[in-house]
Amino acid sequence: MKSFLTVLKFEVMHYLKAKVFQITTLILLAMIIIGLSIPTIMENFNKDDPSEINGENYTESEDVPHYGLYDPEGYIQDINLLSDSFYLGEFTAYTDLSSLKKDINNNTIIGGYALNSPTDYQYIMLNNEMMDNGLYAFEQAYTYVYRVQVLNERNIQYSDVEDILYPNFNVTVDVLGKDSAANYGYTYILVFGLYMIIIMYGQLIATAVASEKSNRTMEILVTSTKTSYLIFGKVIAGAIVSLLQFGILIGAGKMTYALNAAAWDGNLDMIFKIPGEILLQFAAFGILGYLFFTFIFGALGALVSKTEDVNTSATPVTLIFVIVFMIAITGMQNTEGIVLKIASFIPFSSFLAMFVRVSMGSVTWYEVVISLGILAASTYFVGVLASKIYRMGTLMYGNPVKIKDIPKILKSQ
Amino acid sequence: MHLEVQNLKKTFGEKQVLHGISFEVKSGKALGLLGRNGAGKTTTIRILMDLFESNEGTIHLNEKPFNPRNHQIGYLPEERGLYPKKKVIDQLLYLGELRGLEKSNLKKNALYWLERLGVTEYKDKKLETLSKGNQQKVQLASTFLCHPEIVILDEPFSGLDPVNSQILKEIIREQIENNKLVIFSSHQMSYVEEFCEEIALIDQGNVVLTGNLNNIKKNFGKNRLVLKLGSHSTLETSDLLNRHFVDLVDHHETKKDRVILKLKSEDKKHEFMKRLSDQALDVELFANYHPSLEDIFIESVGE
Repeated sequence: MKSFLTVLKFEVMHYLKAKVFQITTLILLAMIIIGLSIPTIMENFNKDDPSEINGENYTESEDVPHYGLYDPEGYIQDINLLSDSFYLGEFTAYTDLSSLKKDINNNTIIGGYALNSPTDYQYIMLNNEMMDNGLYAFEQAYTYVYRVQVLNERNIQYSDVEDILYPNFNVTVDVLGKDSAANYGYTYILVFGLYMIIIMYGQLIATAVASEKSNRTMEILVTSTKTSYLIFGKVIAGAIVSLLQFGILIGAGKMTYALNAAAWDGNLDMIFKIPGEILLQFAAFGILGYLFFTFIFGALGALVSKTEDVNTSATPVTLIFVIVFMIAITGMQNTEGIVLKIASFIPFSSFLAMFVRVSMGSVTWYEVVISLGILAASTYFVGVLASKIYRMGTLMYGNPVKIKDIPKILKSQ
Repeated sequence: MHLEVQNLKKTFGEKQVLHGISFEVKSGKALGLLGRNGAGKTTTIRILMDLFESNEGTIHLNEKPFNPRNHQIGYLPEERGLYPKKKVIDQLLYLGELRGLEKSNLKKNALYWLERLGVTEYKDKKLETLSKGNQQKVQLASTFLCHPEIVILDEPFSGLDPVNSQILKEIIREQIENNKLVIFSSHQMSYVEEFCEEIALIDQGNVVLTGNLNNIKKNFGKNRLVLKLGSHSTLETSDLLNRHFVDLVDHHETKKDRVILKLKSEDKKHEFMKRLSDQALDVELFANYHPSLEDIFIESVGE
């Protein structure tokens, strides 16, 4: 046991001292803190220098783009009403079409509209660009003006009609079960975070094992202590460090969000207000799922002799892992789906699938216990198998060992 | 301590690589495991270190089943290596701790061996920044760090430069003087001759020769003589033996400027001498033959 703690301490320090770990954590930390502080920073900028917008030197009209309107028949009674409804700029009235076109060519105005009848008009512009909204914006403004004019002619107030067409309802949502929609945000973040951690640390562990083989340290190690201590120490050290990293990032996120809560106006509550019970279940499923997959990655690392072969060897497991992730993510749209239900009892996928069901769907406590039990037993089995494969791989150099040959080789040793 | 290896057999897949290896060695003595590449030396050592399980056979230390984890063993594997990106002192402390050394002694031991091997100045450097020779010294420091009671060295001199070889020789001599049980494998005969009282010569997974080296040499030299005639070349001497001494000489071979011959029996020596004298041959050298280990090795396993 003392040796196990020695291995664990050595491996934890190995990760913590690694520049990649330190730099990645710092970059992610900076991104979270700065990202969550942006609304407060913007608010402060706006507060500090109000003269920029409302000062004496500022004249709204100077910055507002101008458009021309040629309406010889006077179909539009109030050009100001049209300007108010036109979100791209203001209108200037033209009495002849040629001067409107001339101003467009001179870039004095951006574009123009010539009305031939109340329902027939021409849009004139200099260059037609992909993102031009002139037609849509004018149609929206003109439709409004047209409706107001026609309704006024019939002595009907436009606001009365608007109330009928777009009534204001007061709605209160009362969720008796789980509010999947509200839980979606943090469930997605936790599932994605776990996916990233397992992929990242799985590869790190596989590479670390393969490099111990390639630099020939392994034979010294396995004659100095038990192989199970070595692989368990390596995998559990990865779990401790990844939990620490995840904890730091989530903690920093929660703290920064709390400090900037006013600026966010509670808009990110769905991500940061994670119930303690959910975090606990996430920790249970997450840790077991992490151990399950990283034991496999560790064993795969022992099957190759060169670090560059790790990726090839780990590809089948990575593929399975990506499929599991896809099942969990698509399952979040429908937590009662049969695929998600089956996946929540298979050890390869249960840590994500059952967590999604717990977090967003309805699941009985005994289903959770059964799933956790299967996962815990499978993780133990995979751990024992991984330490045997690790031991087997110690002295096998040359071509990577094929998975189908493992039982035969284990037997012969 | 008395280590006894009995009838070790090992098969990998379809191939049997050890066919019944047996030898024994005691504290204060060194056993040399000799053999060509692929003879089975490393497999034998790995079974001793419990890296492989044998299919048959036993290993006893002081008549009790031997478990390497219950003893401090200074093991230098054939495939050497440590962590290239770790500081020298960090990895020595880690390996020492893994082998169960107390923290208080550990640093002292590590610094002692670094000092002894002349690499103290590199203790805080990453291993990969050291020259190959100094990396080998760090590897040796890690081997002897735990003040082992048993020392098992697999091809310890391979890849060592002459200076490091000399340092290792001194350390091995010191271990033997300190009553440690030393086993080492090699195909470099001169080193084995220097240290080993006992040898086990392995060929294709079989022990073809084992026992005390002096006795082996004595037996090997029995009835053998070295002959050099001043007036004859080795070819002419060989021809002479074929023509006039067939009744006395069993077989002979030339070696450099002399002929090594084996008499049909010990009592023929005087008669052989007399007949050489009768023929008035110019005998420049006539002596008992003392074979080198290399001669024994080549004759035992050479094709």
